[in-house]
Amino acid sequence: MDRGTRDPGGNLMNTVDAPARESATKKKEKTATPWNVVVLDDPVNLMEYVARVLMRIFGFSREKAEELMLAVHQKGKAVVWSGGREKAEMYVQELHGSQLHATLEKSS
Amino acid sequence: MTVMPTINGGIKLTPENDKDWAVLKAIAFDAHEELAARLGGLMDEESMWEDIVVPDLETHFSGQLDHVVKAVNEGKEKDEITIPKEEGELWYGALNQARLGLESKYHFGQEEDIEPDELEKEERQGYLRGRFYCTVQTVLMEYVLEM
Repeated sequence: MDRGTRDPGGNLMNTVDAPARESATKKKEKTATPWNVVVLDDPVNLMEYVARVLMRIFGFSREKAEELMLAVHQKGKAVVWSGGREKAEMYVQELHGSQLHATLEKSS
Repeated sequence: MTVMPTINGGIKLTPENDKDWAVLKAIAFDAHEELAARLGGLMDEESMWEDIVVPDLETHFSGQLDHVVKAVNEGKEKDEITIPKEEGELWYGALNQARLGLESKYHFGQEEDIEPDELEKEERQGYLRGRFYCTVQTVLMEYVLEM
């Protein structure tokens, strides 16, 4: 038999009715819009180099990196990662350091 | 100029005349002066890229060019330039800056669209330098870069 939880007056509290309290941080994390890291095509960076940079920065397999590299080349741009803004900015900084054209956009 | 891999995992550039040396010296000249700012321009204002990231990128890119300028000057005295494995990324980055600079200036676009003989003299020289830089980058990627 479930004894349940009692209030200071000794009355059984219906825990089902107890309001669910969520921390402000968890709520923010749940509702925060993810950001996309987008690599843009350019006529200079060599395709093999782009693939290697993606492998190095994101840890992609060669297959995945080449798939994304081809998407960049053929479509003009490709989303290579999605997630929190801070990490996305860190990735873009690394891409810029490798002289790849990259930017952020809000994930739809 | 010959470009050959070395047994130690680097490459050696052996210029054959003054024109070859002029091409190597042109790497820093051709490099885009505002590459860091241009990349920063791709970011929104909220990122504060111009204040926080662009200065670091400028330092990073300048370091690559300074290294190549120094290596070319020192190589002139030995009639050759050896690029050891650990300097491969520096050279690759400097050559890439030069190619980006040439593209920014002349807007060559995709290589297959270019007919060099139809270009004006200065453009053609820039195009040919760009092709040479690309060749060295390709050799660096194949024999030197570990990435």
